[in-house]
Amino acid sequence: MKIDELINHMSPELFVGDLKATTKDEALEELTDAVVAGSQIKDKQTVLEMLRNRESLGSTALEKGIAFPHGRSLAVKELTILVARSMKGVAFDSEDGKPTHLFFLLLAPPQDTGNYYLQALGKIAELVRADSVCNAMMEVRNFEELSSLLRESAS
Amino acid sequence: MSDRNQAQLLVALQDLQEMILEAEDPAQRQQLESMGFPVTGIEELRTAQQKLEGLIRPAMLGKYRRLYKRSGRAIVPVVDATCTGCFAAIPTSFTSSVNRDKVMTCESCGRMLYWP
Repeated sequence: MKIDELINHMSPELFVGDLKATTKDEALEELTDAVVAGSQIKDKQTVLEMLRNRESLGSTALEKGIAFPHGRSLAVKELTILVARSMKGVAFDSEDGKPTHLFFLLLAPPQDTGNYYLQALGKIAELVRADSVCNAMMEVRNFEELSSLLRESAS
Repeated sequence: MSDRNQAQLLVALQDLQEMILEAEDPAQRQQLESMGFPVTGIEELRTAQQKLEGLIRPAMLGKYRRLYKRSGRAIVPVVDATCTGCFAAIPTSFTSSVNRDKVMTCESCGRMLYWP
């Protein structure tokens, strides 16, 4: 997946500079509120329930303070990616037990042929592999700076 | 419980069943695990499925199960006034404010309809 293709699924409305949540459940709710406010998705309850179930399957928080809550739902019409940060960190059941600061929420429709959303997820994971990129992501002031940073790290 | 809630519960149930199928599929599971995501809670998902089924009216659940068994997707989204299960046009009366919150059925394929 090319970087521009990935960024096309993001938008300034789907960027949260600093989450208020401190717990996993609060974070899932805040992320869902933000995605409903910033996209065409309307059915908050259905999306939130799917995300909670996905977390029951296994935490989507990896190490280095990054989490990728994701999944498919009938309530979603197209691949939608929300990026959020938490300056103080969220206890999100990460692999290393450390707080999570960066969230990439990926929502896809069920008819997502070829696991397109998993390709997007893989691409983001590749982009944020370097600590320098993660650190820089915590510094960006807006979505434009975020997308520039992702483009730079892809080149 | 309103019909709207029933529709949402049916959608949640189908999302969950699809998630379980995905987690049980060795290729999908391997893909997730290779990215670092553990797939350990299938039993928790089955428990959640049972709880969810308990909230759905028995007649509605029976219909859902028959459709799911028959076609794999019991409830489908309506996009641009079209059933995405069979691509039949959905009458405008179905999308009126009166009917929007009910669990409607496609007259062509019989699937339950959901307006995302």
